[in-house]
Amino acid sequence: MNSPFTRRQLLQRTACGFGALALHDIASAASNPLAARISGMVPKAKRVIFLFMGGGPSQMDLFDPKPFIEGKHGQKIDSPLRKEVTQIGTDQFLALKAMAPVRPRGQSGMMISDLMPHLASVADDICLLRGMNADNPQHAGATLQFHTGTFAEVRPSMGAWVSYGLGSENANLPSFVSIQGGGVREYGSAFLPAIHQGTKLTVPLDGKALPVENLRNVSPTDAIQRQRMDFMTRMNRRLVTDLGGDANMEGMIQNMELAARMQLTTPEIVDLSKESQATLDLYGVGGKDTNTFGRACLLARKLSEAGVRFVQVSTGGWDHHGDIRGNLPKLCAQTDQPVAALLKDLKSRGLLQDTLVLWSGEFGRTPWSQDLSGKSPIDKHGREHQPESFCAWMAGGGVRAGLTYGDTDDMGYRVLNGKVHIHDLHATMLHLLGIDHTKLTARHLGRDFRLTDVYGEVVTDILA
Amino acid sequence: MLCLASHAADPVFFESKVLPILQQRCFECHSHGTKIKGGLALDSRSGWEQGGDNGSAIKPGQPEASLLIKAVRYTDADLEMPPKGRLPTSEIAILEEWVQKGAHDPRTSGASKPRKGIDLNAGRQFWAFQPVRDPAPPTVKNADWPADPLDHFILAKLEEKSILPVTDADRHTWLRRVSLDLTGLPPTPAEIQAFARDNSPQAYETVADRLLTSRSYGERWARHWLDLTGYADMMGTSNGVYAEHAWRYRDYLIAAFNADKPFDQFVREQIAGDLLPATSTEDRAENIVATGFLMVGDIEIVNPDKAKMETDHIDTQMIKIGQAFMGMTLGCARCHDHKFDPIGLEDYYGIAGMLRSSPSSHKMPDMGVWSTINSTVLPETPAQLAARKTLESETEQRIAAMKTKQKKLTEERASVMAQLAALGKATAPVAQIAAATDNAEREVAPPTKTAPTADKDALTKRRDALDADLKKLAGDINHAEFFKDKTPRAFAMSDGPQPSDMPVYVRGNPYAPSNVVPRGVLRVASWDRLPAIPTGQSGRLQLADWLADKRNPLTARVTVNRIWQKLFGTGLVPTVDYFGARGDLPTNPDLLDHLATRFMRDGWSQKAFLRTLVLSRTYRLSSANPKSAFPDPQSKDPENKLFWRMNRQRLDAEALRDSMFAISGELIRDSGGPALVMENPENCASLSLKGVNPPNYAHKVPRPSQEFERTIYLPVFRNNFAGPDRLRSVFDFINPAMIAGDRPQTVVPTQSLFLLNNDLPRKRASALAAKLIADEPDELARLEVLWLRALSRPITSTERAEAAALLKAVTPPGKPTGSAAWTELCHSLLASNEFVFRL
Repeated sequence: MNSPFTRRQLLQRTACGFGALALHDIASAASNPLAARISGMVPKAKRVIFLFMGGGPSQMDLFDPKPFIEGKHGQKIDSPLRKEVTQIGTDQFLALKAMAPVRPRGQSGMMISDLMPHLASVADDICLLRGMNADNPQHAGATLQFHTGTFAEVRPSMGAWVSYGLGSENANLPSFVSIQGGGVREYGSAFLPAIHQGTKLTVPLDGKALPVENLRNVSPTDAIQRQRMDFMTRMNRRLVTDLGGDANMEGMIQNMELAARMQLTTPEIVDLSKESQATLDLYGVGGKDTNTFGRACLLARKLSEAGVRFVQVSTGGWDHHGDIRGNLPKLCAQTDQPVAALLKDLKSRGLLQDTLVLWSGEFGRTPWSQDLSGKSPIDKHGREHQPESFCAWMAGGGVRAGLTYGDTDDMGYRVLNGKVHIHDLHATMLHLLGIDHTKLTARHLGRDFRLTDVYGEVVTDILA
Repeated sequence: MLCLASHAADPVFFESKVLPILQQRCFECHSHGTKIKGGLALDSRSGWEQGGDNGSAIKPGQPEASLLIKAVRYTDADLEMPPKGRLPTSEIAILEEWVQKGAHDPRTSGASKPRKGIDLNAGRQFWAFQPVRDPAPPTVKNADWPADPLDHFILAKLEEKSILPVTDADRHTWLRRVSLDLTGLPPTPAEIQAFARDNSPQAYETVADRLLTSRSYGERWARHWLDLTGYADMMGTSNGVYAEHAWRYRDYLIAAFNADKPFDQFVREQIAGDLLPATSTEDRAENIVATGFLMVGDIEIVNPDKAKMETDHIDTQMIKIGQAFMGMTLGCARCHDHKFDPIGLEDYYGIAGMLRSSPSSHKMPDMGVWSTINSTVLPETPAQLAARKTLESETEQRIAAMKTKQKKLTEERASVMAQLAALGKATAPVAQIAAATDNAEREVAPPTKTAPTADKDALTKRRDALDADLKKLAGDINHAEFFKDKTPRAFAMSDGPQPSDMPVYVRGNPYAPSNVVPRGVLRVASWDRLPAIPTGQSGRLQLADWLADKRNPLTARVTVNRIWQKLFGTGLVPTVDYFGARGDLPTNPDLLDHLATRFMRDGWSQKAFLRTLVLSRTYRLSSANPKSAFPDPQSKDPENKLFWRMNRQRLDAEALRDSMFAISGELIRDSGGPALVMENPENCASLSLKGVNPPNYAHKVPRPSQEFERTIYLPVFRNNFAGPDRLRSVFDFINPAMIAGDRPQTVVPTQSLFLLNNDLPRKRASALAAKLIADEPDELARLEVLWLRALSRPITSTERAEAAALLKAVTPPGKPTGSAAWTELCHSLLASNEFVFRL
């Protein structure tokens, strides 16, 4: 060890809420797993809030209107797809017009649908990416690619990479939190130390539910729990002494105390009831459609403010294979107000300038219609998955506000310019956080891995 | 036009018009000064002539046949350049014109790019590809210390560095250690006492033999093997598609370990069991089930592009075979020659051709874009067949009974509806009459005003109840019919109709086939040519024989290293899954080869090998650091790479959970069979083979016994680990999409919160307290038993005093200590480091 600190001092100094030391780190005990690893460029953003719209929101209904398709509504259009690809309910390739008008908004004239009036009101704060591009046409694979950069192998999620690269900003909370997240791989750490794995929180819909598991004391009273812990700690300390020291057991002893502290502090940090009525109203907390996602977004802001490096808020339901006309407005009603509220709230608190907000689905949807039943009128059709092109947006932390970047062809299928592959998006996100994506690596099975694998280029055009 | 033509062939046209476009638009990714993406360089004529992965980029005079022109035109979604956006039309026109007129290009600069082949002879010099040696045990100064030849190798290294091994662990510690390592369960008080009383020289052997012949041994070691397979009870990761036959492979493993199936045979069965001769019906079935090894991983079954999907499946299998048996990362060679190890595209596609000749999935005919994993009908003995027929006829009877009931309820519903309709007609006039009577002349007294309402309420209630019953019944009937065929099946490999060699897929892309390579194995690890693959066969049998051959330099080394790592905490090659150039070198190469040789010489017996290891002196060492040792081993070998003491290990999720249930007396010992509770219709949805999405499973209602079964029998899901087995994900259970021989062991506060407050340890503590109180009325004696049960050792006097103090402190004054107090004490032991770690 060439550090002046003992492991215990380190644990005390760094013992971040979810602070931990991977057993594999023993040799390099001096390295704090949550200390910043990469200090290269000057960061524009210190933290990220990632709003994941699972299912694949329809980009041309929301952000990228296509007069060509509008004009051909209900008529057959030429399919650009390869013949080998299995298609279900889309063999007709009927043009399907937008579900609501998409109009210019704000000073910038950014195109946003009438279905998202709240987002439209903050158009000048966001940077719209219309040339997004991904590789996998199915939810599971595409979702993994968006979260981890790949869909073939198990890889760390982007929040885990950011935690690994930048460490934690707070002492009582994890550095990476996933709210309402899906499968574990969406917030997993794979071969990175487990401390970088996202902690999954559920949105507390009432005052009783706790967002973190096992926070409630199971002994009859806190005093009894304390007795039980003290007894155990005496045994644990004696054992470590008998063994002549053991870093992991020391870690367990520290963590047991930390767990007791978290029992007291964490519920308070995530308690939404202390927020003002104005704030609750802003997010739509208590609203019929907006209650759940409003709470999720407000929780995201609170965690972000408290220093959580990467907050991921996931919601689903955008997978509109059928009756997109009926269903898309519902999803917009659930999320539009909370999302816009998050941007407004962050801005008014002065947090937006160094918080990067990212909104995206795993892919977009086709310009032609899909009819799984084969019998519905075109008004009841939906749209199939489309990774070839889709829309995402970023806001805050160093991106050019009000910019619309990228164009697709007349059909809204192929990106003509401003193509941003998921690898590019990841590279750009890391760049904004002050990290060179080619330098953030971890060794696994003899190879250095990156979030961006061997790809990715920073999209400099969208930097402020 | 003529004028233009002369321009295009003109060097000036190239220099002034074409070259700037290439420089500005293409060189960033396609020149020797920067990158050569896709193998294509555009900074010399030979660069585009030779072309990249897709072949020559320009065919002079033929713009329509030139990939470069195709790419810049943006007409093919798979080939669009530059990737960031289409060139202005004017620039595309210049390039088209240039190619049309012969692609004049005077440039000769730029390095030519010879394909860097694999140097097999150089590769074979690497230690892992050298034949396994049989080194003689070295002589040691302290000749009394070794208990087994392997100890000579350990001690010689230590003596070289003047490190003294620590003293032996006490007998209680050794017994707990060996019990947890071999069976995943702590010793019982009776076993502890028996060992304490056994003064014979064979006392240790007796224990090892007892543990190795217990059923628990297979249940523990099969789980280690499952970590190398990506095992889960679901297909892929999407939509909760159940893998209803996966459990057969798990049960096969448990039986194989318990029967001590020779490892070479174990390898053969898992790669090519379906192609092996069998001695009986059961044997044949077993061989088929064994190939589940290649089928149980995270194999994605939904992708509209089936060629891509098949290629991905093969890759999953390649990675698994490479990692589990060879300690090699074969996946790298799917797209290019391995960057660090002597494994080429030819090696990858040689093995991949065998797997492609044995397809592992097929598309569901009427089900959207979904495929399913292939399964094979298992042969049945006459007794098994008879039992199945009985079961099927019982199901038929059950369905018939449900249908009868359905008919009856449907009729009743019709009658209820008729009565309701009649009532509806009757009540309307009643209301009118009632209204009319208020206005005077009471011609007819209305019948009791309340009766129709009451009838209506009762009938409505009955109708709703019937609707609910009928709905459930329809679901139950559908469920029973969907699963009425009880033919035993297993996810298994079988050779396809036309086994053949396959082409190299350029960069792994099935739409870019290149030269066909003969099926074969890793050349660098081969001692001879692979025997010819008989026509009509996949070649998996030859692959299996090659893997299981004593001359294979990798299989035995990789395997003994894995087993060593499980017992000693670190492998002799610490990177247990990777023996390549960038992996760790063996810390004791002679010992590794000594063990590999012995393993093979003893008939590849894992039990014999484990017995050797646990009876060694090295295994018997204490895990404590020396109090005052000179010379201090910690300064000479701080990571204990040379094994001067035993490594402490945190219990893995299975051992932790199973131990808690064993100690509380709640563990169920005779499990097996399906992990998914498919028999409960509530857990199944979309039970139809005609939908857009496949039938699926959600673990809503577990089988009651599952709370108390050993962890290996619990279902494994890839999308979440929710449910009563939450402990697994908190304590580093393997991500079931991954394959890894060495799980990460973390120390995170969520684990402390779990131990402190979760129901699972709490309920075990409470059951343990109840059991202790029932079994042992005397409090002092009870403490002795508790310590033996939970920590496998006698209680100390200090602990006795502290425990008594705790019991008193958590009991209200004046009350006797009861189960509540004992629960607190038991809980604190189950959450203590001594319980959570094995020393």
